[in-house]
Amino acid sequence: MMPSGMPESEAIERAKSGDGQCFEALYTMHKRRVYSLCLRMTGNTAEAEDLTQEAFLQLYRKIATFRGESAFSTWLHRLAVNVVLMHLRKKGLPEVSLQETLEPAEEDGPKKDFGSQDQVLAGSIDRVNLERAIESLPPGYRIIFVLHDIEGYEHNEIAEMMGCSIGNSKSQLHKARMKLRDLLKITRAERAASKR
Amino acid sequence: MKTGHELIVENGQESIAAAAHNAGRHIQMNCAEFQRDLPLIIDTGGTEHQEAHLRTCAVCRDLVSDLRYIAEQAKLLIPMLEPSPKVWEGIEEKLKSEGLVKPVRARNT
Repeated sequence: MMPSGMPESEAIERAKSGDGQCFEALYTMHKRRVYSLCLRMTGNTAEAEDLTQEAFLQLYRKIATFRGESAFSTWLHRLAVNVVLMHLRKKGLPEVSLQETLEPAEEDGPKKDFGSQDQVLAGSIDRVNLERAIESLPPGYRIIFVLHDIEGYEHNEIAEMMGCSIGNSKSQLHKARMKLRDLLKITRAERAASKR
Repeated sequence: MKTGHELIVENGQESIAAAAHNAGRHIQMNCAEFQRDLPLIIDTGGTEHQEAHLRTCAVCRDLVSDLRYIAEQAKLLIPMLEPSPKVWEGIEEKLKSEGLVKPVRARNT
């Protein structure tokens, strides 16, 4: 909630002029989404908190450049994604994972599933199990899965942000979903038993 | 008169679907062929030929269903996670130290 029921657009304008209370109100409104994004992309609470802090500091420094061409939440979200990707690039994780996908002998590819005919998803997935499974994905898979399937970015946007090809983004996403299925599945017999 | 298969070889085409069409009969796609196009099938739906494979193959049917379900469930993961109060405290401290903002009362605890 903005101060005294103030519209978000006014709070943004005031924050541009250095109004700390309005900036705090913007933080309060958007902190969950930014923190959740950071946590899902990194899988690490301490890193996610540092990156959330960095994203809002950058927001404060750059808010004067916000012209309202897109929704403020979209603009802030993109800023936060870039903060996380910059951090991960410094750690070297995405590059390694992207390179791995180019290797033909990768064991997480779709062909692995030909023989696993007795494995299916464990009925409905609860949120906690899905979050845990996402957290355990290799970083390259996790980032693209989070950006595409959770945050709703298109492959061309991800390719631009990640500095990879659209095909690579699609390939990573597919492998991420396959890996998640591996992590969440049980045998057909177990699922049948759980339905009885 | 040339058969469908001969025409395909003559034209250098290797498509199984085209071969089936030209020969006037239906050749069942196998799992390897189906799963080769899986990412496209998941996101945009399959061709008639791929749909025919799905109707007869429980393994691929479960696979497609599971992968679509995972994608659907991911979209429902709303941002419920709350950062600790120290995140805002850190932001406020940094902004104050840089002289960028007047002190504000910490309400995000």
